[in-house]
Amino acid sequence: MMRLSGRLRSSLIIGGQGIRARKLRTLLSMVSLFLGVLAVVVVQAGASIAEHALLSEAELTQGKDGTRQLFLPTEGGALPVTLDTLRGRSDAVAAIQSMAIIGEPRVRPVNPGAGRIDDPAGSGPEVVCDPRGCHQVGDAAEAPPGKAIALQLTALTGDIRTFRPFRPYAGQWLDFSSAPSLSPRIVLNREAAKGFARYHVPAQMRIDGATADATPRIIGVVDDGGYQPAAYVRADELLNWLPETALAGDRGASMLVLSSPDATAVERTLRARLVGAGMAPDAIHVETLDARGHARTELAIMRWIFLGMAGLVLLIGVAGILNVGLATVGERIEEFALRRAVGTPRSLLAGIVLSETLLTGLLTAAAAIGVSAVALRAVGAVLGDRVPLLQGIVFPWQAGVAGVVAGLVAGLLGGFIPALRAARIPIATVMRA
Amino acid sequence: MTSPLIELTGITKTLKGQGEPRPILSGVDLTVHGGESVAILGRSGSGKSTLLSLIGLFDRPDGGRYMLGGRDITRLPERKAAALRSAQFGFVFQRFFLLKHLTAAQNVAMALVNGQGWLPRRKRRAKVMAALDQVGIAHLAKQRPPRMSGGEQQRVAIARALVREPGILLADEPTGALDTETGKLVIGALHAATERGCGLILVTHDRDHAARMGRVLQLDGGVLNPVTEPVIERVGA
Repeated sequence: MMRLSGRLRSSLIIGGQGIRARKLRTLLSMVSLFLGVLAVVVVQAGASIAEHALLSEAELTQGKDGTRQLFLPTEGGALPVTLDTLRGRSDAVAAIQSMAIIGEPRVRPVNPGAGRIDDPAGSGPEVVCDPRGCHQVGDAAEAPPGKAIALQLTALTGDIRTFRPFRPYAGQWLDFSSAPSLSPRIVLNREAAKGFARYHVPAQMRIDGATADATPRIIGVVDDGGYQPAAYVRADELLNWLPETALAGDRGASMLVLSSPDATAVERTLRARLVGAGMAPDAIHVETLDARGHARTELAIMRWIFLGMAGLVLLIGVAGILNVGLATVGERIEEFALRRAVGTPRSLLAGIVLSETLLTGLLTAAAAIGVSAVALRAVGAVLGDRVPLLQGIVFPWQAGVAGVVAGLVAGLLGGFIPALRAARIPIATVMRA
Repeated sequence: MTSPLIELTGITKTLKGQGEPRPILSGVDLTVHGGESVAILGRSGSGKSTLLSLIGLFDRPDGGRYMLGGRDITRLPERKAAALRSAQFGFVFQRFFLLKHLTAAQNVAMALVNGQGWLPRRKRRAKVMAALDQVGIAHLAKQRPPRMSGGEQQRVAIARALVREPGILLADEPTGALDTETGKLVIGALHAATERGCGLILVTHDRDHAARMGRVLQLDGGVLNPVTEPVIERVGA
C-alpha cells in the first residue's frame, strides 16, 4: 500500500513537472479536447435541466411521484360518498372538475370552451351557461359575444398542493381550516388571471347545474402548469350554490382523488363505500404516478443520441492528446531511459505519462465545466424573464460529473499508447547516447 | 579486505543486431570490493559500456554468473532489477542527462522520487542538499542546467548518483565532455565517494584518470586483463 502510494505521489509530482515544463503543449492538448468535453457537459446539463423541467411540469399538472390517483365517475352517488369519506383528511384530496363561466350572463365568452386567452379559436367545444346550466353548443351564433371568461373549475376537499405543488404567483391560497364562505373564494391559474387582467368582467359565476349564480372572490393566483384558464375553489363553498347531484351524471364533471402512497386505509375505505353504494369495482381506475420514470424513458434515447455525437467530438480530442503524447514521449526518450537507470520501474514511467494526460483531461474538464456554468448563468440572467424554465437555473451537478468523467476517460485513452511506449523505452539508450 | 561487493564469473554477451551476431564479452571475470575503485580501459567498441550496462542491471548477460553482495542476480526480473538499481547503484554518464526544466536540486531529487519508497519533502530536501554539498555545489541548488558550466552539470549528475548512498558508482566516460582541469575535479569528486566506502567502476579512455583508481583493467578481446605498471604513468607517483 505504501509502495502504491509512493508511486502514485511520484507520478503526480513528475507529471506535474512535465506539464509545467511543456505549458504550450498542454494548452494545445486542452484546446483539442475542450470541445469534446464541453459537448459532453452541455448534453448532460441539457438532459438534466430537461428532466428537471419535465418533472416540475409533471408535478404541477399531474402530481408528485408516488401519488395515488383514483379516477372516479361522478354519477351514482359517488360524489357524496367521496366527499363524506375524505372530509377533514389531509392525506387524500378529491378534485371535482366542472366548467364555469365568470362574467355577463347568457353571452358567448371570449374563450369559448375555456380555451386559451390568446388563442380562443384553438379550444374545445363551446359551452354556454344559463340558469339551466352550461351546455355545449354546435352553433356559436346562438349566444351573442360578451364580457365573460370560461374556465375549468376544480372543487377541492383539501389542500391539493400536498400532491401538486402549485407555485404561488400572487395573493393567497385557499384556506381549508376556516368556515366555508357563502361567497366562494377562488384561486386562478395564470392563464385565467391573464384573461381577468385583460377583460373587465362582472363577478358573476355560472356553474353547470347551479340554480343561481354565485359571486366569487378572487383571492390569489397560482402557476398550476396548465395552459387553459382554470380556477380552484373549496368544494364546500361551491356546494353552497349547487346540489351535490349537480356535479353528477352527464354534465361533464369528473372526479379525481389524489392520495399519498401510505394512505392505503382511506383508499380501501373509499373503495369499499363506493362499491357499497353500487359502483362497479372495475369502474374505479387507480394509477400511481411515475413521472420520473416516464421522463427518463422519454429523455433516455435523445440523451444517448446526443452523447454519442458528443463522444465523437471527444474522440477527436483524444486523437489530439494521443498525437501530442506520442510526440512528447519521442522527445523524452533520454529522460525516460535515465529515469529507468535510476531505478524507476516501467509501471511508474507509464504512470507519469498517464498522470500528465489525466491531469490535462481534468484541467480541460474544469475549464469546460466553468465555461458551461458561467454561460448557463448568463443565459438565465438574460433570458430568464422570457423563459420561465431558465429562471434561477442552477448548473446541474450531473453535468459536472459527466465533464470530469469525460476528461478522465479522454486522458486515459489519449495517454494509454504513449504510456506503453514510455514504459518500453530501452534503458540502454542512455549508454548509447 | 572486505567481502566482494560485485563478483562476475565468465560473463558472456553477444550483440544481436540486424547483421551477424557479434560476441562482445567472452568470459569476463571481475571482483570489486566495497570502497574499491576500478578503472576499465579499452578501445572504442571493445565492450566497456556493455560490461557496465550488465553490471548496472540495464541488460542481462547471455552466460556466466553475477553475484552482488553474495546474492546471485544473473537472471533478476526487471521489477527487482529496478529496485536494486535504485538501492545499490549510482550512475554517471558521459553526457550529464540533466533535465533542463528542473533545478539542480530537482534533478538530484529525481533519484529519490522514483517509486522506490517515499521520502517526505523535508527529508528529501535534506538528502539532496547533502549530496550537492558533497560535490561542492550546494550553492547552485536552485540553478537550472543551462546556466551551469559543464563541470558543474557533471557534479550535479554525480550528486544525483550519490543521493541514495549507493553501494557502488558506475561511471561511463564521465570526463569525456569536459576539459582536462574540470575532468580532474570530477574524478576527484568520484574518488572522494570511495573514501566513504562506496565502490567505483570507471570506464574511461583517459589513462591519467585511470591511474588515480586503485586498480586498472583492460578490456580486450572480450576479456578483462589487469594492466601492468609500466603501461600507465601513475599521476603523482
